[in-house]
Amino acid sequence: MTKPVRTWGRVRENRKAAEATFWIEVDCPEVAETARPGQFVMLGTGLADVAAPFLPRPFSIGARLAGGGIGFLVRVFGEGTRRLAEVSPGDELLVLGPLGRPFTLPADRPALCLAGGVGLAPFLFLAAEATEGGTAVRIVYGERSGARVFDPDLIRRITGVTPELRTEDGSVGRRGLVVDGLDLSGAPQLLACGPSPMLRACAALAAQHDLPLQVSVEEHMGCGVGTCQGCVVLSSQGEWVKSCTEGPVFDARELSW
Amino acid sequence: MVGLGQSVLGTSFQSPVLLASGTCGYGEEYADLIPLDTLGGLVTKAVSLEPRAGNPPHRVAETPGGMINAIGLQNVGLERFRSEKLPWLREHLVSARTLINVVGHSAGEYAGVVSGLDDDEGFLGYEINVSCPNVKDGTLFGTDPQGLSDLVSKLRRLTKRPLVVKLTPNVPDIGHYARICEDAGADGLSTINTFPGMLIDVERRQPVIGNVSGGVSGPAILPMGVYLTWRAAAAVSIPVIGIGGIRSGADALQYILAGASLVQVGTALFVDPSAPIQVQEEISGYMERHAIRSLGDLVGALEIPGRDPGPVEDSP
Repeated sequence: MTKPVRTWGRVRENRKAAEATFWIEVDCPEVAETARPGQFVMLGTGLADVAAPFLPRPFSIGARLAGGGIGFLVRVFGEGTRRLAEVSPGDELLVLGPLGRPFTLPADRPALCLAGGVGLAPFLFLAAEATEGGTAVRIVYGERSGARVFDPDLIRRITGVTPELRTEDGSVGRRGLVVDGLDLSGAPQLLACGPSPMLRACAALAAQHDLPLQVSVEEHMGCGVGTCQGCVVLSSQGEWVKSCTEGPVFDARELSW
Repeated sequence: MVGLGQSVLGTSFQSPVLLASGTCGYGEEYADLIPLDTLGGLVTKAVSLEPRAGNPPHRVAETPGGMINAIGLQNVGLERFRSEKLPWLREHLVSARTLINVVGHSAGEYAGVVSGLDDDEGFLGYEINVSCPNVKDGTLFGTDPQGLSDLVSKLRRLTKRPLVVKLTPNVPDIGHYARICEDAGADGLSTINTFPGMLIDVERRQPVIGNVSGGVSGPAILPMGVYLTWRAAAAVSIPVIGIGGIRSGADALQYILAGASLVQVGTALFVDPSAPIQVQEEISGYMERHAIRSLGDLVGALEIPGRDPGPVEDSP
């Protein structure tokens, strides 16, 4: 497991990438160097200001950038993410990472990434690394509405992969959910990240077709390093397991759905 | 750095800054991030006789100036603590002191944990948790004077190690509970545990926290913690460990001036793992600026200016 570092990272760029959605790039060479797809960082503003986000928030690493940078997808859900989304180039963010268990890239199967909303982030990183390593990667990416779709050109630029788009309102790409009418040819390794109902549907799909599935889960986190035990999810053994250190990536069979 | 050392609880503490129970696991999790052995010490996650599963999620959420948690004392239990966690602490915390936070559903369970640990090496003593707001009977002993007295007396008979009792803020007069602990043989007090609270998601009309309510911590509770520490310290002659919202040297010094010999940093660790190191450096800087040679000179050194009575009404 990579050792996490605690460091201040300087914001390189913050660009609005869709409705309430921002792509933020931060200089952070120590984290960029060792990070693996599926890992995350805790991003915060430090101790000086008690306004939200006082607690750091977990973000999947969305890209390893040239020159020691990392990229994140930030969507505004509440006060904390609203303020994070307002950072400007030159601002500093406190970065703790890389943290957590990464995805295991399949050597012998194509990878089919199922992304719901900002669950897209880890697959931007994964697809870029996997295609470089010669693994065939597809990304099926769903959003509620077309306005929320992260710029497909930017996805192509980061990953070299053209995403298959789905929206619930049908305004962009195909109408429906990421699990609807999927092409599962080639017995792919399924990788999923998104809201819980979507992950549950992915787990059912994988079981039905007897395909391997890794999921990246999301829970509220306190520390990110396994001490507070705040971010638990229920294992298939009926135990609470920490998503920060035992996850965030789990084999779907390890969890209770 | 000016020397931060002090003798407390019958031993030397190289620094007054400890990590608070529940925020530093069993130490190992932060070992790569901060030089643990330069701290005053750490207080482990609660240890119960049997493993506990804890509460359903969400277990944590941010609140204004802090956070709310309801973990539910999830822990590995006495035996796994002894075989998996304590050996690491013994090996890696040499200059820093370890207090083991102990919890139980009954006096017998507390006693079982203390007797089960007492012959082991690698820790200084116990912090008895009678004040967890997030489990059904968590404050049972902390709010019942007779139960508290009986529990502390019972544990006193089982160990010669330092016994520190972690008090709940949720009592009308904390000084009363502080004296009960002292009279029953406690060696020190930790003030305070989290405040009970809740947070509601108005869109869903549901509590945010799976347990419905939780314990509030962080800078938001600092003034309450300082006040209750001041009240507790004034009521007893045993040392008090101040806890609640500390994120800077000045915050820690408020507790120390109010009468705390040691302090614990908790929630701030989540915001920045280097918080306890910064707190130590800032206390040291304060001592240099004020030419204070010994930290002990600051403990309880609060000065309350004499009040000008102002104009007095003529009596009729």
